[in-house]
Amino acid sequence: MKLNIEGLLVYFPYDYIYPEQYSYMLELKRTLDAKGHGVLEMPSGTGKTISLLSLIVAYQRAFPLEVTKLIYCSRTVPEIEKVVEELRKLMEFYSKQTRESNNFLALALSSRRNLCIHPEILHANIVVYSYHYLLDPKIADLVSKELAKKSVVVFDEAHNIDNVCIDSMSVNITRRTLDHCQNNVDTLHNTIHKIKETDAAKLKEEYRRLVEGLKEANVARETDVYLSNPVLPDEILQEAVPGTIRTAEHFVGFLRRFLEYLKSRLRVQHVIQESAPQFLKDIYDKVCIDRKPLRFCAERLQSLLRTLEITDIADFSAATLISNFATLVSTYSQGFTIIIEPFEDRTPTIANPVLHFSCMDPSIAIKPVFQRFQSVIITSGTLSPLDIYPRILDFHPVTMASFTMTLARTCLCPLIVGRGNDQVALSSKFETREDFAVIRNYGNLLMEMSAIVPDGIVAFFTSYVYMENIVASWYEQGILENIQRNKLIFIETQDAAETSMALEKYQEACENGRGAILLSVARGKVSEGIDFVHHFGRAVIMFGVPYVYTQSRILKARLEYLRDQFQIRENDFLTFDAMRHAAQCVGRAIRGKTDYGLMIFADKRYARADKRGKLPRWIQEHITDGSLNLTVDEAVQLSKHFLRQMAQPFRQEDQLGLSLLTLEQLESEEMLQKIAQVAHQT
Amino acid sequence: MDEEPERAKRWEGGYERTWEVLKEDESGSLKATVEEILFQSKRRRVIESHEQVRLGMMRHLYVVIDCSRSMDDQDLKPNRLTSSLKLLEAFVGEYFDQNPISQVGIITTKNKRAEKLTDLSGNPKKHIDALKKAVDSVCAGEPSLYNSLNLAVQSLKHMPGHTSREILIILSSLTTCDPANIYELIKTLKSLKVRVSVIGLSAEVRVCTVLTRETGGLYHVILDESHFKELLMMHVKPPPFDLETPSTTPFLETQICLSLGGYFCPQCHAKYTELPVECKVCGLTLVSAPHLARSFHHLFPLQAFTENSVEEHQGDRFCQACQGELKDKTIFTCTSCQSVFCMECDLFIHDSLHCCPCCIHSQIGP
Repeated sequence: MKLNIEGLLVYFPYDYIYPEQYSYMLELKRTLDAKGHGVLEMPSGTGKTISLLSLIVAYQRAFPLEVTKLIYCSRTVPEIEKVVEELRKLMEFYSKQTRESNNFLALALSSRRNLCIHPEILHANIVVYSYHYLLDPKIADLVSKELAKKSVVVFDEAHNIDNVCIDSMSVNITRRTLDHCQNNVDTLHNTIHKIKETDAAKLKEEYRRLVEGLKEANVARETDVYLSNPVLPDEILQEAVPGTIRTAEHFVGFLRRFLEYLKSRLRVQHVIQESAPQFLKDIYDKVCIDRKPLRFCAERLQSLLRTLEITDIADFSAATLISNFATLVSTYSQGFTIIIEPFEDRTPTIANPVLHFSCMDPSIAIKPVFQRFQSVIITSGTLSPLDIYPRILDFHPVTMASFTMTLARTCLCPLIVGRGNDQVALSSKFETREDFAVIRNYGNLLMEMSAIVPDGIVAFFTSYVYMENIVASWYEQGILENIQRNKLIFIETQDAAETSMALEKYQEACENGRGAILLSVARGKVSEGIDFVHHFGRAVIMFGVPYVYTQSRILKARLEYLRDQFQIRENDFLTFDAMRHAAQCVGRAIRGKTDYGLMIFADKRYARADKRGKLPRWIQEHITDGSLNLTVDEAVQLSKHFLRQMAQPFRQEDQLGLSLLTLEQLESEEMLQKIAQVAHQT
Repeated sequence: MDEEPERAKRWEGGYERTWEVLKEDESGSLKATVEEILFQSKRRRVIESHEQVRLGMMRHLYVVIDCSRSMDDQDLKPNRLTSSLKLLEAFVGEYFDQNPISQVGIITTKNKRAEKLTDLSGNPKKHIDALKKAVDSVCAGEPSLYNSLNLAVQSLKHMPGHTSREILIILSSLTTCDPANIYELIKTLKSLKVRVSVIGLSAEVRVCTVLTRETGGLYHVILDESHFKELLMMHVKPPPFDLETPSTTPFLETQICLSLGGYFCPQCHAKYTELPVECKVCGLTLVSAPHLARSFHHLFPLQAFTENSVEEHQGDRFCQACQGELKDKTIFTCTSCQSVFCMECDLFIHDSLHCCPCCIHSQIGP
């Protein structure tokens, strides 16, 4: 159908549209008009992707000078494929409607093999790829730096974007990394030696260029051709590479010294935490390495690799990592911390020293993106509370909106189970974690649910350790045996192969009527990337609140930083983080309007306003006061009723006019008013 | 209301939040709409059932009763098993009333096995007795969908092609214990044109959805006991029957000689005490004339009444059948005599009476 969105003609490749899709496009258009950034939350399964694509493509066609390119970033390969599929549908619709050949070029980068795409990418109208191509400075430099300023960037499934940013800027150095790096340096040394004998002029040429300074890069940045690389600080572009590392031999020697220093630092017996300036002072005192050459390290290495014409750059990943670390540590005095741990917390007897150079400020990695592109859209099914994202990513959105699902029938049923049948409070908090009564009641809940929920149930625990303890305890109490009479049990493990095997069998059991339970872990593989549509997930049970492991030093440092820099209290951030993961987990069950599922929050803490208020609006609005502090029995009764209601025949006609609109219905005065009203609430 | 004696007592039902029905229909969603949807589907069924012309009047139906552990559940009173068996008794009676030349067999499944309670036969008494006896049986273990279907198919596949083959499953459990891949069996059922319908007592199970969709049957899940009865009675009507190749076998032989305490087969003169039956000697299907007459109305169904809103109706606001006041929003008008009926009477006329009382009246009257 053809829509008119505030004067913009939008081709929408389906005959029906959800009212929230319309409001979504409306908000999106306003964001583009204002040339600003936006944060938009809309439940999964309501057609976010197609709304985004059809509006932005229409915008591009209407105002080709305002918006030249759409950069669509998604998280995983299957998601990228889904986007491409939708895009194809849209393009077909366009060519059918307009009867002219399509001059739109879209490009999808799904795996790292396809890195060599420079000429095409410059002309493509739409680029679909993974976050990392834009956020990770190592890859972004290769792929994304020539993207035009007038592009619209969309981050889909962006609820974890801060963690992606942090990961892309953080460096972990182990003994193995150092050994690899040592090998790299040796190779470099040998190559230089060889080249010197055969082609000394080449090295001289490089030296001359370095004296000239990185003028080229500077010109590029000033004329605004490239996306700036956060690893490459502004200042060094104006300066020449310092004399100490200008010749190739000197640089290799410099690297050797730096490596030796890092090795000595890894020889520790206790945990050390220090800031970047402390580290720099120490390195100066011990091996006389100045801050300045360190800052040029990354650039110098790149230049050397180019000069030596080394093709297999992947081999030099360790050296690149170390040099990036050197540049980062000397560039940013704030936002990073260095933690050296002699062993892992779980295995305190095995020496495995790690140097974490950890980024605490996600805005560092994403800053160039916000600065460069005129519109950046952050969107996901779960982005609540919306206001925290602009704060931690340090940007100013022009629109922030959260949309709910309009439903012809309430197809989701969130229940908060706070007590067992014996009135024992259910909670995964630390003090009651080992409590026998709590574990027994959790087991009871799962058992009762396994008897009344058809096909698949997915249960999430807060951590692997917690899951292992509970399952062991259930086994001893004979609960597992009782559950197995109703359903088969599968368990997610840290082994990816094992988990995918379990998943496959789980789906088979759901398919042929045996029924199955998948026990998995929040923040694990299952909780993020895998959808449990229809019968694959009729109920999701969240055992406990999935707080991140708070004893980790990296997390502590980050919390401190957030408090000092952004005035976000530790507790607020932890709760926010826990709730977004909980929302992700329970959101796995509902993947569309014809789908239905139970969402069971088994912890009494969910009933508190500070937790509940951080759930996405589309879940929150279905939590009634009556479902706040249920016992297991009450939850079972409600679930039974819900499942019977949902099993009644449900046809498309029942949705039409309410949650599914034809063009005429959409254009009716009454509906427009209703939509405006809904939008007003946000 | 008096019309609903079957409905469980209020305090026996689950947690009901009746106030929420009122609260939520402002936004046009929630439970009130679910009820509305139910009402609509009730209507649609009445209309739909009259669009078929070809009906399988000679039916062979296997009823599979789940007797697994979950039948002990007390959400139907006194428990699921007793309640189901009782409703089935009524069903069997009604079934033979409406389909006198059809047959029924009963299969039970528990402990991962399936057993025949009664063989296919046209004698309601035998089935009802068996059902009465089954009340005392113990519910245990898991049901097996595969074994029950397989057992039913073993008998049904020998039935002649011009008759309809059906299986109706009353499934309480949400799990099934199968010895082999059930999807293979579904393919077989489909090729044999066996129509499988399921009535679920607890929730929607995926494999049943696929099973019924593939074989062209119906799948419903009950809300409460009265809904259960309603769903069961839906299966009393002959289903649409797809005769791709018109059967070459003679349809029926109705020449039956009644003698003292029995009937003779017109072809081989074997004597039978009860009808309908398939002649053991010559394989002829034997029925009596009243049987045929009673199945006849399926072929000439009563036209669906037209539905109007009560506001548009001029004249007396009384139902012509029950003489009650027309309280519902919609009324139903007979297309030939223009008499007006209420919803309840409309259902009664189409489901049980099969003729419009006012039309009959005008034919007889002066």
